[in-house]
Amino acid sequence: MRVPALTLARVFWRCLFLQAAWNRRGMQNLGFAYAMAPALRRLYADPERRREALRRHLSTFNCHPYTAAAIVGGAIHHEERVAAGEEAASATAEYKQVLQGPLAAVGDGFFWAGLRPFFGALAAVGTLAAGWPALVAALAVYNGLQLWLRWSFFWAGYASGDAVVERVAALSLPRWASRLRDGGTVLAALGGALLASRAGPSPGTAAVVALAAALAGWWALSRGARLLPSAYAAMLLGVLAALALSRLPGGP
Amino acid sequence: MDYLLLALLAGLAAVERKGFLQAMLSRPIALAPLTGLALGDLPGGLLLGPPLELLWLGAVNLGAALPPHETLGAAAVAGGAVLAGRALGSGVTPAVACLTLALVATLAVLGRSTDRLIEEWNVRLAARAEDLLEKGQLQAALRVNLRGLLLPFAASFALAPFAAALAALLVPAALRRFPGAAPPLAFGWAALSGFAAAAGARAFRSQRGLPLFLTALALSAAGARMLGMWR
Repeated sequence: MRVPALTLARVFWRCLFLQAAWNRRGMQNLGFAYAMAPALRRLYADPERRREALRRHLSTFNCHPYTAAAIVGGAIHHEERVAAGEEAASATAEYKQVLQGPLAAVGDGFFWAGLRPFFGALAAVGTLAAGWPALVAALAVYNGLQLWLRWSFFWAGYASGDAVVERVAALSLPRWASRLRDGGTVLAALGGALLASRAGPSPGTAAVVALAAALAGWWALSRGARLLPSAYAAMLLGVLAALALSRLPGGP
Repeated sequence: MDYLLLALLAGLAAVERKGFLQAMLSRPIALAPLTGLALGDLPGGLLLGPPLELLWLGAVNLGAALPPHETLGAAAVAGGAVLAGRALGSGVTPAVACLTLALVATLAVLGRSTDRLIEEWNVRLAARAEDLLEKGQLQAALRVNLRGLLLPFAASFALAPFAAALAALLVPAALRRFPGAAPPLAFGWAALSGFAAAAGARAFRSQRGLPLFLTALALSAAGARMLGMWR
C-alpha cells in the first residue's frame, strides 16, 4: 500500500514541529512520532500494529531539523514495506539509526554554519544599504530556498529510501558551505564598514573607533575571548575613547 | 498594550526559533524591526537589527549544545530601546541603543539557562507520551509533542517585557540625569557595531577568514570614504 499524496503533505507539515518537545532523553523522538502519525494511520488499520509502529518512532532520534525531512520521508518508504510484509519492522529503526548522524553533520555544516548566517549577514547589509525592502527580500529568498530543500529531501527520502544518501551527496552541500562561509565573512566586513560609516555623532571619528573595535574584536575572539563580556568591553572602550578624545583640542 | 504586544511577539519568536519552522523570523535581523514596527518605531528597529544580527550570528543550535538565546536578547533590547526612546521623545538613538544593550543583553544568557530547564522538563513530556501510548491513547500521546511549545512561549512572554520595562524606566532616567553622556555613549555604540562585525565574521569560521575580513573591511571602508559617507 502506498501513502496518498495528501497524507505525505500532512507529514511534511508536521516535520516543521520536529523539535517542539526536544528533550534530553529522546531528543526529537516525540516530534518524529508526531510527524509520522498520519502515514502510520494510513498504513496500519489495526490499532495494535499502529501502536507498535508509533513505539518504534519514539526511540531516541536527533538530526538537523531541515535534513531530518529526508529521514522522515525514508521512514515512510520503509514503513510501507513493513506494512506489506516485505521487510522486518527493525528495518525502519536501522535506517534512522544509520542516517541521523551523517545527515545531522551535513545539515549543521551547510544550513546552520553556512546558509543561514550568510543570509543573516546579507539581510544586515541589505537593511543598512537599502532599508526594509532588502530585508524582506533576503528573508523571502532564504525561506523559499530552505522550504524547497526540505521538501526535496523529504521527497527524495520517500521516493528512494536508502538511496537518499546519494541524492543528498550529489548536491555537494559541504562545498557550497565553504563558499558561503567565505562570502559571509566578506558580508560581515561590509556590514562593519556600513555601520561605521553611519556611526554618530561625529561620523569620521566614530568610524575610526568602530573599525578599531572590529580589529580588536577579531583579535580578542580569535584568542578565545567570550562574546558578551567582549561586547561590553568594546562598548566601554568606545565610551572611554570618546571621553579621551573630547579633551583634545578640536575633539568630538 | 505595548508590553502585551512585545510579550506576544517574543513568545511567538521563541517558538519559531526551535520548536516550529526555523524560518529566521526569530533572528535579531527580523525580530528587532518587527518589534519596532509593533511598537510604532520601525526606523528604531531597523537601526538595531543589523548590529544585533552580526553580534549573534554564531548563535546556532548545533547538536545538543545550547547557544545564548539571541531571540530573547533581541526582543528585550529592541523593545526596551524603542520604549526608552519614546519616553525621551528622541526615538532610538545610538546612546539609547548602547545603554539598553548594556542593561539587558545578558538576558540572552539567562535565556540559555531557561532553555536547559525546558529541555529537562520535556523529558517528563516524553515519559507522559510513552505512558499514554501504553494505555492505547494514541492521539493523546501524539498531542503531547505540541505541549512542548508552551514553555518556550511562556518564558519569553514573561521575560522580554520585564527586561524592556526595566530599560524603559532606567535608560531615560539616566540620560536625563546625565545629558552629557549621550555623545560618549554613541561612541560606545559605534565600537559595539565594529565589534559585532568581527563577531559575525568569526562566526563563519572560514579557513581564509582573517585575510578575507581585513581585505573586505579595508576596501569597503575606503569605498565608503570615497563615496563621502564619512565626513
